[in-house]
Amino acid sequence: MIPFKYQEFYTHATFPYRHGIKNLRVFGTAMPSKTETVASFVEAAPPGEVSRPPLLSCRDAPDIKSLTYDDSQILQSLQPAFKKYNEEQFTTVKLPGSTETVIVSSFNELGDGRYFDSANQSSFEFDHTTQKASSVQPHTLDSQHAELIISLLESLSTHAAEHFPASSIGVYPTENDSAIALVIVANKYSPNNFWNGRWRSVYIFTPSSSTVAGSIKVDVHYYEDGNVRLLTEKPVQISGVDDRAQEIVKQIARVEKKYQEDLNKAFSNLSEGAFKGLRRQLPVTRQKVEWEKIGGYRLGQDIGGGRSR
Amino acid sequence: MADQFDSALDLLRRLNPAHTSKNLSAICSLIPAEEENLLASVDQPLSVRRCKKSGRDYLLCDYNRDGDSYRSPWSNEFDPPVEDAELSSERVRKMEVRANEAFDVYRELYYEGGTSSVYFWDLDDGFAGVVLLKKNSSSTAARGTSGAWDSIHVLEVVEGGRTSKYKLTSTVILNLGSSGEALGQLDLSGNMTRQVEQDLPVDGDEGHVVNVGKMVEDMELKMRNLLQEVYFGKAKDVVGDLRSIPALSESNRDKATHREMINSMSGMKV
Repeated sequence: MIPFKYQEFYTHATFPYRHGIKNLRVFGTAMPSKTETVASFVEAAPPGEVSRPPLLSCRDAPDIKSLTYDDSQILQSLQPAFKKYNEEQFTTVKLPGSTETVIVSSFNELGDGRYFDSANQSSFEFDHTTQKASSVQPHTLDSQHAELIISLLESLSTHAAEHFPASSIGVYPTENDSAIALVIVANKYSPNNFWNGRWRSVYIFTPSSSTVAGSIKVDVHYYEDGNVRLLTEKPVQISGVDDRAQEIVKQIARVEKKYQEDLNKAFSNLSEGAFKGLRRQLPVTRQKVEWEKIGGYRLGQDIGGGRSR
Repeated sequence: MADQFDSALDLLRRLNPAHTSKNLSAICSLIPAEEENLLASVDQPLSVRRCKKSGRDYLLCDYNRDGDSYRSPWSNEFDPPVEDAELSSERVRKMEVRANEAFDVYRELYYEGGTSSVYFWDLDDGFAGVVLLKKNSSSTAARGTSGAWDSIHVLEVVEGGRTSKYKLTSTVILNLGSSGEALGQLDLSGNMTRQVEQDLPVDGDEGHVVNVGKMVEDMELKMRNLLQEVYFGKAKDVVGDLRSIPALSESNRDKATHREMINSMSGMKV
C-alpha cells in the first residue's frame, strides 16, 4: 500500500519571484535543541499505524532518522520521549506467552523499566523503543486497597466488555496508596482505510473523600489525501461515590455515556454552526455562479465585500 | 536531499494539523537546507494584510512573496517596496485584475464575508496562478463553535490553439473547535488536497478567467462535501467504533434476533 504522496502535487509549482527569504521566518527567539524538537514529534504522534508501530518508535522511525541524518545519539536521547509517549498513551503490550494485553502507564511503573499488572499479579520489563515486554516475574499487589482493587478489576472489565469492542483495562494503587487509578484504553487501527483511533479514560478514586477525578480523551487520525485530527479532552469530577466497586464503575459508566452523547451532539453543532457559517454549499440563489456574466453580479447586486470595514 | 524533504512531508502528514506552522518551523530548524522548498510545498493558514494603496485586504502566500515583501493584487505593488521587482506581463496582469474582480463576487456569494486574492504570473507556454480564499468564524456566532477555512488553489495553464490544458491542485485547511462545560475541549482540524486536470476550449483571455472560475467552483463544491463527510461522518463513526453507547451484549442480541428473523423468513419462502 502506497499512501498518498504530497510531492506529486507540487511538481508544477514554479514560482514567480526569485528572491529568497532574508529574514528567516521559521526560527523563533528561543530555538529548542535538536533533541527537544524531535521529542516533541514523538510525543505528538497520532494513534499507531500497524505498518509503522507507533510511527516514531526508534527501530522504525525513517522520518526522524532521515531528518537527523540518522544520528544514533539523537535516537538514544529520545528515550525519555518514548517513555513519556507510552505512559501517556497507555500503550498496551502482550506479555510473553500470554494472549491478553496489559497497559503501560505511570500508575503501574515500578522503576528500572519495569511495570506491574494487578490482574495477572505479575511484573515485566518494558522496552520503550521496541514496545516489547520481557522477563515476567510474579508480583504481589501490595496495597491497603488490594481487595477493592480486585473487585474493581472485575467490575471495570465487565463495563469495558459491554462498551468497548476492543480495550485494555488496569486498576492500580496510586498517590502513596491513598487512591486507586482506573484506566481504560481502546484502540482501533484501520490503516487500509487511512484512519486510526484511540479512546483513553482515567479515573482516580479517592476513598477518603469519596470522589472520582479524571479525564476522557479521544484521538482520531484520518489521513487519506490529507491529514485530519480529532482531539478531545473532557475533565471528569464525581463526588459522593461510596467505596463499593460496582458503585464506582456505575458512576464511571454514567459519565462515559453522557460524554459520548455530548460528543455526538458536538459533531452536529459544529456541522450546523461553524462549518455552515464558513462557506455555503451554494449561493443564496441556489445556482452556481454564471462566470460569463460575472461583471453583471457587480452591477445587479450590491456586493462590496473584501473592502476594509 | 530529496528523501529528507519527503520525510518532512511524511512527518507533517502525521503530526497534528492544527500545529502545522509550528511543526514546519521545527522541521526547518533540523534541515535548514530544505527550508525554501518546504515553505513552498506545505500549505499553511493564510495571513491577511491591508493594501496601503487601496485600503483593501489581501492574502499572503509564497506566490506573491518576493524576499520579505508581498505584492497586493489590488495595487500590483510590493510591501515593503522591492527595487528590482519582476512584475507579470501586461496581458497576465490584466487577466489577474479580472480574476480578482470575479473571485471577489464568488467570495461574497459563497462565503458572505472573508477575504480573497488571486495571483497570476507568466510561464513560457502559458501562465500559472493561485486563487486564495479565507474566512474565520467567531465562537459567538455559531453555537459555541469556532472555525477557520483557508482555500489554496494552485493552477497551471498550458495554452494551446483552441483549447488550453488546466491543471489545478486544491488544498482546503479547515480548523474547527468547540468547548463547553459538558463537552470539555474539542479540536477538529485538518487539510485535504485534491487535483484535477482538464482540457477546455478558450475564447480569448476572458475565457481563461471563466474556465478557472468554473474549475475552482466545482472543486470547492466537491471538497466541501468531502470535508463534511470526513469531519462529521467519518470522525464520528470512528468514535462509535471505539466505544458503543448501547451495551454490546444487547446490540449483539438484537443482531442475532434480526438474523434469526431473516433466516426464518427465508425458510418460509423455501
